[in-house]
Amino acid sequence: MKRERKCFWYFTMFIFLVSGLGLGLSGEEDTFALKGALVHPVTSASIEGATILVKKGKIVALGKDISLPEGIRVVDVRGKEIIPGLVDPHSHIGVFAANDANELPQPIGPENRALDALHLDLPDWMEAVKGGVTTVVTGPGSGERMGGQSVTIKTFGKDLEKRILKESGELKMAVNGVNLSHIPTIQANFLKAREYLKKWERYEAEADKASPPERDLSLEALAKVLKGEEVLRVHVIWANDIISFLKMKDEFGFELQFIHAPEAWKVAEEIAKRKVGVICMPIILSINLPEDLLKGIVTLQRSGVKIAMHSDYPVAPEKWFRLNASLAIRYGLEKEEALKAITINPAEMAKVDTRVGSIEVGKDADLVVLNGPWYEISSTVEKVFVDGILAYDSLREEER
Amino acid sequence: MKNFRRTKLVFNSFLPLSLTLVFFIFCLGREGDRETQLLAIKGGTILTMAGERIEEGVVLIKGKKILAVGKEVEIPEEAAIFDAQGKHVLPGIIDSMTYYGIRPFDLNDMENPVTPENRIIFAYYPFGEFMRGKEGINRDREILSGGVTSVYIAPGDRQVIGGQGAVVKTWAESYDELILREPAALDMTIGDTAKYEMKREAKTPVTRMGISTLIRTNLLQAQEYLRKKKEAEEKEGEEKEKSPLFPRDPRMEALAALLNQEIPARIEADFADDIRTALRIADEFGFKLIIDSGLGAYKLKETLAEKGIPVVLGPPTHPFVQGGEVSMTRELYREMNEYNASELIKAGVLTSLASFGFGFGRFGYATQGRWLLIEAAYLAGFGVPDEEVLKMITINAAQILGVDDRVGSIEAGKDADLIILDGYPLDIKTWVDEVFIDGVNVYSRKGGRK
Amino acid sequence: MRKNRNGVLLFIFILILIFPELLPSSEEQEILALKGAKVHTAASPPIPSAVVLIREGKILEVGSKVAIPQGATIIDLEGKEIIPGLIDEHSHIGSYFDVNEFTQPLGPENRALDALNLDDEDWYEALKGGVTTVVTGPGSGERMGGQSVTIKTWGKDPLQRILKESREAKMAVNARDLSHIPSIRKMFYKALEYKDKWEKYEASEKKGAPPEKDLALEALVPVLEGKEKLRLHVHFANDMLTFLRLKDEFGFDLTFIHSSEAYKIAREIAKRKVPVITLPLATRIPVCDEMLLGIKELFEAGVKVSLHTDHPVVHQKLLRLNAGMAIRYGVPEEEALKMVTLNPAQSSKINSRVGSIEKGKDADLVVLNGVWYQPRTRVEMVFVDGTLAYDRANEEKFKEERK
Repeated sequence: MKRERKCFWYFTMFIFLVSGLGLGLSGEEDTFALKGALVHPVTSASIEGATILVKKGKIVALGKDISLPEGIRVVDVRGKEIIPGLVDPHSHIGVFAANDANELPQPIGPENRALDALHLDLPDWMEAVKGGVTTVVTGPGSGERMGGQSVTIKTFGKDLEKRILKESGELKMAVNGVNLSHIPTIQANFLKAREYLKKWERYEAEADKASPPERDLSLEALAKVLKGEEVLRVHVIWANDIISFLKMKDEFGFELQFIHAPEAWKVAEEIAKRKVGVICMPIILSINLPEDLLKGIVTLQRSGVKIAMHSDYPVAPEKWFRLNASLAIRYGLEKEEALKAITINPAEMAKVDTRVGSIEVGKDADLVVLNGPWYEISSTVEKVFVDGILAYDSLREEER
Repeated sequence: MKNFRRTKLVFNSFLPLSLTLVFFIFCLGREGDRETQLLAIKGGTILTMAGERIEEGVVLIKGKKILAVGKEVEIPEEAAIFDAQGKHVLPGIIDSMTYYGIRPFDLNDMENPVTPENRIIFAYYPFGEFMRGKEGINRDREILSGGVTSVYIAPGDRQVIGGQGAVVKTWAESYDELILREPAALDMTIGDTAKYEMKREAKTPVTRMGISTLIRTNLLQAQEYLRKKKEAEEKEGEEKEKSPLFPRDPRMEALAALLNQEIPARIEADFADDIRTALRIADEFGFKLIIDSGLGAYKLKETLAEKGIPVVLGPPTHPFVQGGEVSMTRELYREMNEYNASELIKAGVLTSLASFGFGFGRFGYATQGRWLLIEAAYLAGFGVPDEEVLKMITINAAQILGVDDRVGSIEAGKDADLIILDGYPLDIKTWVDEVFIDGVNVYSRKGGRK
Repeated sequence: MRKNRNGVLLFIFILILIFPELLPSSEEQEILALKGAKVHTAASPPIPSAVVLIREGKILEVGSKVAIPQGATIIDLEGKEIIPGLIDEHSHIGSYFDVNEFTQPLGPENRALDALNLDDEDWYEALKGGVTTVVTGPGSGERMGGQSVTIKTWGKDPLQRILKESREAKMAVNARDLSHIPSIRKMFYKALEYKDKWEKYEASEKKGAPPEKDLALEALVPVLEGKEKLRLHVHFANDMLTFLRLKDEFGFDLTFIHSSEAYKIAREIAKRKVPVITLPLATRIPVCDEMLLGIKELFEAGVKVSLHTDHPVVHQKLLRLNAGMAIRYGVPEEEALKMVTLNPAQSSKINSRVGSIEKGKDADLVVLNGVWYQPRTRVEMVFVDGTLAYDRANEEKFKEERK
């Protein structure tokens, strides 16, 4: 008996040891802590000398004095700053290659999915990571009046399925103000979609389902918007087109977001009234924007509009996405608001804020470590974690 | 101790409460400020366009409206005073046909000669320079320097049925307040310009017959649509998913509004024959008609007067509003009569004078309306009395556009849209000194140059 | 005998005193007197109540204290105003429209007149507007060379109407294209070479093969020689500066046409005494206030400014309104009048005949029923070469005659 028990115990301990080792091996990736940095969680006050505990790709603890489990890897980040992984709500990264971005001859193409055109092997993704951008919403170009559906995806990760946070979720339209018939056409389509919905609702309600109404993928996509299942994102340039869409929202009640909208600040109050989010300029270094517009970002935010920056990659590089916020600060935007504009705001607009956009317990461990104030041009990104994995380390790069 | 505690209690609750109350009242007061702000423009010669000419009169404004106007108007103590001594005071000028505020590429839908569903309001851009300026509606100094406070804008004249026009102000405090009436009319063209584009594509209309057929066919379809709609509504009873802004079939609804006389048709026609065609079609379908440009209208003055059809005349200096840079075509020239306006007015036709302004490449957008007083002066030399010619760019325009309950004359209850001039209105050297829209001094000539 | 002759002479003398009609008088000696109007001569301050004497199509006398000779036909114009017949230095009135790219060989067998349509109703409208002389020709294609005709808007005989036919060197610069400049300079140098080659050829008594003919360069040669003016269609200030520098270098005679941005470099233009033909394009084209105020700036800088209509961009008849606009935008009244009379006349070198109401010049006069520049004022009469060419009072009769 004694020997059997001993064997049993030895066996059990062996198992534990092995599994412990095993855990320990993956434990290097699995559980670790970042300690000593100035952390900006975004959704709560910044913490000096904080500790972030990461386990299995999630943030499990955040605070100034946190007791850490024994034996875990501690990364010393004293003197550094940590911000959440940046969220770019509008990009075409990975979709633009090989002319797959615009199904142009077809004016209405909401049934097209960017997912089906993603190129994951491009070096572009790493450039985004180096810029601290960990989540992007990427999709087709703005060439069509109603484009296809985008995908919300992490910029790093071995497993594509795991990288994807969301397939689709928005319907994109572009109005470039070149034709008087633009708006009436869009209105007419919404009316058709409304009627399409009604038809299907009636069909569903009927007891004997004789013959179903004809399916129309394009109207279905619009119907999703009408039902509130998807956000309508409109690329808009001129202020009067912004008004036109706000009126359409008044009428149809859908959720609306504007992209680019270089004149949004001119009608800030109207936008704020309807609680519409704006994914706005500036797009640094690429476009020569007038001073009024750059000051307008501040006007927009102060009027109560939720703003988010974007790169519209490849128009502007993902690598310098952070500097959009810096530029806005230069023109008077408060630092906290500027940081929100590249983290939690875009995350909320993309409806992935349960997972990313801030450093909170339960959220993905997407973290950016900088060697100075996050908004300073002179600060560089040293480390980037995506889902708890060290996706980029500037030291390792130098060694090469 | 007890006393102290009570004091503390009172202090702790009373003070914040009272402060809140004071703050609340203060806020209310600020809110109400704009609505009750009093302004008196006094001392000028007031041409009300409602019959009277008042020397050294007073216009009393409260908030956005005119409260009173006259020689002996009591000015409340708290009113701000604007001295108009030695000046002329007129209602804001109304340009009853222009492409002001519309970017040139928004003017015509080149794919289709009939687009009644297009609404010009979506192309109205009162925001100043692209990507530049401040928040809110732009105070366009160029158009305001001419005293223009309201305009009628519509799709261009290259289509047979271009779409729905709108009456808008040149400035307002908010976007919604800009719109005086929308849709205000359905714009059509009967003439060679409506053919022009189509000729290149060998698509109808190529002839005047084609133009007429297109209009009539579409109206017949609209009649049919109305009939079916009525049937459907009677069947479905209360179930209506129709909203005032976004109708079921926008194209048909626009034409239906015309047939139901909710909006008039504005048909641009110059030759008397084209005007006759317009009259004929209007009779056939029973809609309200306004003739635009009407160079040959004098030939039908009795008919127009009898039927109560107003005419919006183009600028007398360059009357050929149709057609590009060639200002004269031989046939039209022969149709022309310098005394067109004078004859129409004498026959009792309601007429207005509009700029038909258009953008011209690098030279700028359509602000020709700012010279309407000069055009009016020109017309005064062709047999139209001064008072009448001034009415043509104020109250007559307002009546034709259907907004005379709000603008067009200086009368109690109307919008406080006024201009102050430094001399007699019909003198080419006279300038607009001040412009008020909704009681706000939106333009001051000395208030800065470009 | 002597006594008798003296007596006869004395008798004849007394006879003539009593009966001056006995003096031999021919038709041409008939004098027309316009009396009582306010006359703006464009060459002097306005005369409140003047007399203008016209004889043989020319102005005989003008002044406030001019004696009206006996037998003169008097027209009482009290309450009216008289200005010189207006002159438009740049117009396309009477030109057929589709001629922008057509190359008209320049030679004695082709007359500029052939390119004009004199039956065009526009001439009558122009006359009604008070415009009596125009410099007109085909469009502004971007080429060298062109034809223009300086012609009156009315005349009994078409040939009589012409003051001048000229081959003119006309260029248009429309693009902000930097490559334009070196190629233009090159062209000037080439033209000098061309001139040289041909001169040598002519001098050597046409020995050997002649040099190649080049119409464009040929048109430039008289410009370089100072015999002809270079008339440049230009809008942008930088293009104007380019040509001012070329003028500095090659020394030719230059005029700017359209010149939308001239006011921005007013002093540079004034320095070289280059005349400017410019806006305001009446009330048709939405020109911005800055440009309109620029006319005053040009004048104040000392530039000689002429206003034009560029008919049909703005109708020829509106030239007077152009002057009114200039006045509205700050140009002194008499200066604005010069901009549509004397200035274009001087610039086109026809001022010996037209441009002002002065003794010896053509009797081209406009009678108006009020202040000459006000838009409500109407033109009542127009005299061209001393003949009543337009009379508002008898308009119907005139219309009939024209048919």
